Amino acid sequence: MSTPTNSPEDQERLIEALAGAWRPQDPRRIRFHPAFFDLDATGRAEAFERTAQLRQMEAALDPEGLSTTARAVILRIRGQNPAGFGS
Amino acid sequence: MTDVADLDRYLPAIAAGDARAFGAWMSEAEAPLRRSLRRFAAVVDTEAVLQEALLRTWQVAPRMTPDGRPDSLLRLAHTIARNLAIDETRRRRTVAVEPALMAEGIDEAERIEPRPPDPMLRRVIALCREKLPPRPGQALAARLGAGGRQPDAVLARALSMSHNAFLQNITRARKLLAACLRRNGVELEVP
Repeated sequence: MSTPTNSPEDQERLIEALAGAWRPQDPRRIRFHPAFFDLDATGRAEAFERTAQLRQMEAALDPEGLSTTARAVILRIRGQNPAGFGS
Repeated sequence: MTDVADLDRYLPAIAAGDARAFGAWMSEAEAPLRRSLRRFAAVVDTEAVLQEALLRTWQVAPRMTPDGRPDSLLRLAHTIARNLAIDETRRRRTVAVEPALMAEGIDEAERIEPRPPDPMLRRVIALCREKLPPRPGQALAARLGAGGRQPDAVLARALSMSHNAFLQNITRARKLLAACLRRNGVELEVP
């Protein structure tokens, strides 16, 4: 595995970016966030912890208790089958 | 009779195509599924894997036959997530360790146990959010509103922020919320 070297500021920015729920969409395969490839194992592990913390906060702030991960999945479901989504 | 703690209580509605029921199921299933991917965090994008696993769980739910044990859909989702993580690890050929070994040794109860949302957390975090400074509050609201639909660069532009400033404001919002929660006696769960 390559080990990218980032300044502390870049590392922090990349971790925060990876902790977001947006991911590139490709119906043929799973696409990783671009920031993933610019982080080393330590940065990726930190992003995992931060993501878990953020999702708890997001779910607690959401009227339906959904994190941005769950919202992103529902958007994909809606995109696949608009008529099948409970309104 | 289905136990109220058993997430399979949502299964009939999910199988009938009710995405709101699936949302309610995800609100309790997401955290344990994410925890189960922790060992893969250094080698695969666990958020991307988790979203794909949840989508596939929705797709197969109508054809699923419960096995009589609690949380059958959660256990299926766990298997899907684990297999996707192993496939992605193999596909990218980034580690010498056999990926299946990375998934072993995870305590079964820990990795699939659902936990209901904490009402105290919901109450306190709403008060904490009101105290956020404007820019961190706006950045957080943009992320919440987008629900993963748009990249941060697009959200930043809409707020007339640079991408870097947007991410710094997300960091500030997260840290301020966590500190406010701690001051009010609420600790977030450790993943």
